[in-house]
Amino acid sequence: MDAQFTQKLVNELTSLEEVAEEILADKQEMIDLDKRRQKTREAVRALQKDKKIQKTWVCFGNTFLKLSTQQTKKLLEKDMRQIDDEIDEIRHNLKPKVNKLRDLEHQDDIKGFNLRPLSKEELQSLESFM
Amino acid sequence: MAAPTVEKVQEIREVTRIERIGAHSHIRGLGLDDALEARNVSQGMVGQLEARRAAGIILEMIKEGKIAGRAVLIAGHPGTGKTAIAMGMAQTLGTDTPFTSIAGSEIFSLEMSKTEALTQAFRKSIGVRIKEETEIIEGEVVEVQIDRPATGTGAKVGKLTLKTTEMETIYDLGQKMIESLTQEKVQAGDIITIDKATGKITKLGRSFTRARDYDATGAQTRFVQCPEGELQKRKEVVHTVTMHEIDVINSRTQGFLALFSGDTGEIKSEVREQINGKVAEWREEGKAEIVPGVLFIDEVHMLDIECFSFLNRALESDMAPILIMATNRGITRIRGTHYQSPHGIPIDLLDRLLIISTTPYDEKEIKQILKIRCEEEDVEMSGDALTVLTRIGMETSLRYAIQLITTANLVARKRKATEVDVDDIKRVYSLFLDESRSTQFLKEYQQEFMFNEMTSESMETS
Repeated sequence: MDAQFTQKLVNELTSLEEVAEEILADKQEMIDLDKRRQKTREAVRALQKDKKIQKTWVCFGNTFLKLSTQQTKKLLEKDMRQIDDEIDEIRHNLKPKVNKLRDLEHQDDIKGFNLRPLSKEELQSLESFM
Repeated sequence: MAAPTVEKVQEIREVTRIERIGAHSHIRGLGLDDALEARNVSQGMVGQLEARRAAGIILEMIKEGKIAGRAVLIAGHPGTGKTAIAMGMAQTLGTDTPFTSIAGSEIFSLEMSKTEALTQAFRKSIGVRIKEETEIIEGEVVEVQIDRPATGTGAKVGKLTLKTTEMETIYDLGQKMIESLTQEKVQAGDIITIDKATGKITKLGRSFTRARDYDATGAQTRFVQCPEGELQKRKEVVHTVTMHEIDVINSRTQGFLALFSGDTGEIKSEVREQINGKVAEWREEGKAEIVPGVLFIDEVHMLDIECFSFLNRALESDMAPILIMATNRGITRIRGTHYQSPHGIPIDLLDRLLIISTTPYDEKEIKQILKIRCEEEDVEMSGDALTVLTRIGMETSLRYAIQLITTANLVARKRKATEVDVDDIKRVYSLFLDESRSTQFLKEYQQEFMFNEMTSESMETS
């Protein structure tokens, strides 16, 4: 009886820790992605500013290549879109995870967590309350 | 002569402070444990175990959204804690569930019809939960750098460096952003948020790391921690507004002003229909949730037959809140008719109600309530005085005994004592009549009062 109880407790705590760990990892990944997003944005801005330069040094892994500015910009912008998508996906998956964690902790789901946001125009009609 | 007047002024001030404590201010909840069993004394509630347990079960159903459009009647003698139970329910529900409390006589107003007043009360008790989502950039300003063109005129350009605890980045600024930055007087060390869609800048405060003791800071300066995590965040805010609030905003051009001045007037039914439609649409799209709240009507026997038939109909609507009513009447005439009915409520409505009844308090419970009230009103009372007061409460009424607490305290303070004693209770008991002694007095001296011709019948019955 006692051993059974201990086993059950360990199992429950393990699954709790697992989910919590996943959430923390996701949060860290989001921060890292945002860091990359900001750096990429800075790079694109820097390229835009200097219109005279035709070619730039680009670092791939541990080799530097000289590419045309045009092409570099395209590459960077593609990167940025990809990062944006990735962040969106993580955010999307984070919610069920948080709900699962709260479920394991025997707490109610957060109210209104799964609602879809109102659009700008719809909000305007209620603006004075917010 | 001057000294006593000063003392008197102080006394008057004390009175106003004590007055602000409401009759049910000591209620913090229903006082139930996790299994919904009522604890004998808890959260300001005493006794009435069965009624409280019933109320607890109803609350649980409300929380799980299992009942909507139901009605509950709390019936019992005067002073048996009907309003206290309703207040306890409101406290337990929390701030997220709308709770509206009105007295039955409140709906009789010259400015709007009875049904309009009831409809407004109904719609105040229905919440709509919605979500607002914004993409923001939040960080501490490390540096603002604005370059003015050498000619003096022309477009300014600039740079803004923002950081969080995790990262730091530089933004290039355009003319517009520079303007709003200078308008908000943003400088290095401020924590700001920028709404990505509109570009609106909000100053949250100054960073703690920049706080200096010797800085001449204004009173409004708020110090906040440097934000954590990513710079570009998504902020989701969930609001709960009531249907009535949406009604008011949309029924007038300057809607929200009307809400705060209290003069809402009547709202057209077309407006309500439109809003119902819109909210239903949002609900379909997963953009809104309906939160059925609680409408509490005290002294419900004051409603007349028209209101009752309106209630009957309104309870059937798919967005009806939980209706809780309280009455202290037995079998009596339904207002607006010649018919008698239990609680002064028509049988067909009574049939739809869950009825909770409250019973008179026993001596121990009265003593406990008086003790709680003494604490709430900051009055110290000796054990003997409390026993005497309990006896008074048993023989007259609980309300009368509660009223004696503060008055006795004043008498005690007059003789510079910190504790209320039996003599103080005796003194206020002789100063203020309770209802039965007042009736007695009237019976004895009615001949000396004016306009006493109608006494012969009515006095005998009472």
